[in-house]
Amino acid sequence: MSEFDSKKSQFDADPIFFDPDDVISSGEFLRTPETAVSDILELTKSAGIDEPAEDGVSPVFKELSSIELPRLQKENRARLQMQTPTRLFFYWSVKDNPFQTLRRAFGDTGSYTLVAKLVDLTHDMETIFPIEAEGTWWFDVDSDRQYRAEIGFYAPNRPFVRVMFSNTVATPRKRPSQRTATSADWKVTARTFAQVLDVSGFKQDAFEVAMVGDRPQEQAQTFKAFAKLVEREDSDFSGIASAELRYALLLLASGISIERLRYRVDASLFALLMACASKLNVENAAAALKEHFGVEADEISEEEDASAAVFGASLVNFPRRLKRKPALSGYNPVSSFVDR
Amino acid sequence: MPLGYFSLILHAHLPFVRHPEYPEFLEEDWLFEAITEVYLPLVHIFQSLHEAGARPRLAMNVSPPLCEMLADKMLEERYTRHLENLISLAKKELNRTDREGIEFYDVARMYVENLAASLHLWNDRYKRNLINAFRELQEEGVLEIITCGATHGFLPLVSTPESRRAQIEVAVNNYKKHFDRHPRGIWLPECAYEPGIEDLLKDAGIEYFVSDTHAILYGDPRPRYGVHAPVICPNGTAVFARDVDTSQQVWSAEIGYPGNDLYREFYRDIGWDAPIEYLKPHLHEDGARRHLGLKYHRITGKNVPQQLKEPYIPDLAREKAAENAMHFIGERIKQAHTLRETFDGHPPLVVSPYDAELFGHWWYEGPQFIDFFFRKLHWDQSEIEAITPGDFLDSGLPIQIQQPTASSWGENGYYKVWLNEDNSWMYPYQHDAERRMTELANEFAVPDPATSNAALDREVTTRILNQLARELLLAQSSDWAFQIYQGTTVQYSSNRFRSHIHRFDLLAKMLEGRKPSFAPEQLELLTEIESRDNIFPEIDYRVYCSPNLP
Repeated sequence: MSEFDSKKSQFDADPIFFDPDDVISSGEFLRTPETAVSDILELTKSAGIDEPAEDGVSPVFKELSSIELPRLQKENRARLQMQTPTRLFFYWSVKDNPFQTLRRAFGDTGSYTLVAKLVDLTHDMETIFPIEAEGTWWFDVDSDRQYRAEIGFYAPNRPFVRVMFSNTVATPRKRPSQRTATSADWKVTARTFAQVLDVSGFKQDAFEVAMVGDRPQEQAQTFKAFAKLVEREDSDFSGIASAELRYALLLLASGISIERLRYRVDASLFALLMACASKLNVENAAAALKEHFGVEADEISEEEDASAAVFGASLVNFPRRLKRKPALSGYNPVSSFVDR
Repeated sequence: MPLGYFSLILHAHLPFVRHPEYPEFLEEDWLFEAITEVYLPLVHIFQSLHEAGARPRLAMNVSPPLCEMLADKMLEERYTRHLENLISLAKKELNRTDREGIEFYDVARMYVENLAASLHLWNDRYKRNLINAFRELQEEGVLEIITCGATHGFLPLVSTPESRRAQIEVAVNNYKKHFDRHPRGIWLPECAYEPGIEDLLKDAGIEYFVSDTHAILYGDPRPRYGVHAPVICPNGTAVFARDVDTSQQVWSAEIGYPGNDLYREFYRDIGWDAPIEYLKPHLHEDGARRHLGLKYHRITGKNVPQQLKEPYIPDLAREKAAENAMHFIGERIKQAHTLRETFDGHPPLVVSPYDAELFGHWWYEGPQFIDFFFRKLHWDQSEIEAITPGDFLDSGLPIQIQQPTASSWGENGYYKVWLNEDNSWMYPYQHDAERRMTELANEFAVPDPATSNAALDREVTTRILNQLARELLLAQSSDWAFQIYQGTTVQYSSNRFRSHIHRFDLLAKMLEGRKPSFAPEQLELLTEIESRDNIFPEIDYRVYCSPNLP
């Protein structure tokens, strides 16, 4: 996948599309081709209905005891599903030989390759990788974005030819919103909201909200702290949520290795951290937090893995917990069950 | 006004398991065990509390598949047989423990008494109809019964708007059939939400749904009162989110009440302890060992091996349940003080949803805990008031408008339990069936004389379409994907999904072939499928039609 990773701007030409009738979205699959009567008779027969019973078992009983999945009819399918805020599942199939379709449109298929393309609609970025005519794929993605997958033909220096596209999926924000209500009745300061999160058992989020406070400059400060740490420009972090960067800093400062951040932080940030791995360690992450946010090293607590184990048959989500209560200035947790 | 409000919400759900093609079927025991250990005790306790004037008040989801199973004659007869069999084993046990295991005698006597009481309630008090019992409790003001997805389909993983809508509308119609009124609220299956689902709920006349904590905490804008007050989606549908503290206190395997040493050990069961010859008359025809529900040991200690568990002492466990209930109320009062302080005097609402089956099945003393909880809440304090989400909406307290975020109450809070490397193979088949269902519904809802579909036998065609809807709904049950992920009853769950997809395909092909009439074999097959998967006899396949169909 990585060798095909690319930003949209790196393409040489704008994409072109097949005739609209050929562009299928997930909600507009092609109609099922009509099945001939002889086919259905044949299908029924092969399914055992017309066959004599064996061992005294009725043909209907035999038929209904089958757990054979039917062969999916050849259809254009492209379905994207959110699994977590940082992971998507995609399955697809192309009904007709896609290269024949391409040949009909262009006369030759040249250097074109059949690819899937994941489009980040929020930041207008895309990733492509070669595929077979049907298959499944798991994407590592970022939270709080919109994505769509496309199937089409890619060739260097030639226009992208789209065959079909999937439904659009929105990955959710995986932390509190930055926005407070405007109405006086519901407006809440960062400090009070940190307490609200704390009494709700969301201590990690409470700490983060308290750390940032209501300061409007937090984003610039975060980018600055991180840029200094990994010796890059602030602009290298455009598109990455500042809260996500702070979260990574806190985890790194608490002693968690970069590898263990996979799926805990957004995919794009994880890739960046891996690229800067040699410049990151517990000490300099803690120093950056102290310098830019006034967080002392002994206030930084590692998250415990949330236990989902419960009595009974369910696996119920519990929020991640801090091992030690942080003592960030201005952050006074009220009480919470996990500390009792 | 009290210091704080408390809303207990019980989610009673089992997947639709009914196998008339076999004289007995292991997985039907799920329902039978739940009736004996959960539903009968809870119904009895709520009724007794009500008659004693303790004014219990809670919301309860009785899911549509559960309603349909409780209303099914064949399962009703099989349950009666199951209960009578258990009673005969318990009586045998009374003699045996009297002779050779006196330390277990009190437990054996408890089972004889409890099971006899259950049989009396089942036969005489409720006339083998627990739906009536739940309805009665709703009419008496004890329960606010809410609905669920028709077959507990995980809505964000349903691919078409028509299929999502059908999960809601079929559920609402089924609720009206069983409870003679419109449901005010819904338990979203697995609390699985994504923005947009509230529109389907509003269209179905549902006022509120239950979500997980972070649906509101991570919603936009920031919730002033966190999860300790509901919010209202921009479309007007209210959301009540799960409180974490009360979840952990009751449910956590690490620190929850049910792990107390004095409580009954779930995994040590006579079905595995007693000699097979002794058990044989009480087992299924295949003679295989299984949980029978008579358990004689207490948890004893966290790391105590099964063979070293000590005898269960019912009186001590009951005292512990009372103590835990008192502690729970004490914690709610403390929590309410803290929350009120944080909220500048605004009264908090603590929403505590649990699987109903936790109470009695997994946590044997759970129903006693609930009994003590409501008694003490009514007679021993006045700071916390038990209400339902509907009561809160009626109270007139102002509610913040907010857009919640996508979430579920499953492990890690999103959709991983129901969509992962082990069960992702299911979705192309499920989604294909969803697409075909709407295509066929659209095609046959309005007979077109110009096409061959007008010539088809209308009555049989309608039966096929209705059965297609049932097969699709049954395939969509989130239970199958859940159990495949969890590694329990994987084979059965996988087979159930496969068989519903297979049956859907067989039926769809009868219509897609557009043969002018149906062969006798096809009619026989249809009749057999109808008799097996007989959920929702009232279903109308047109619920799957596209909205703009002429």
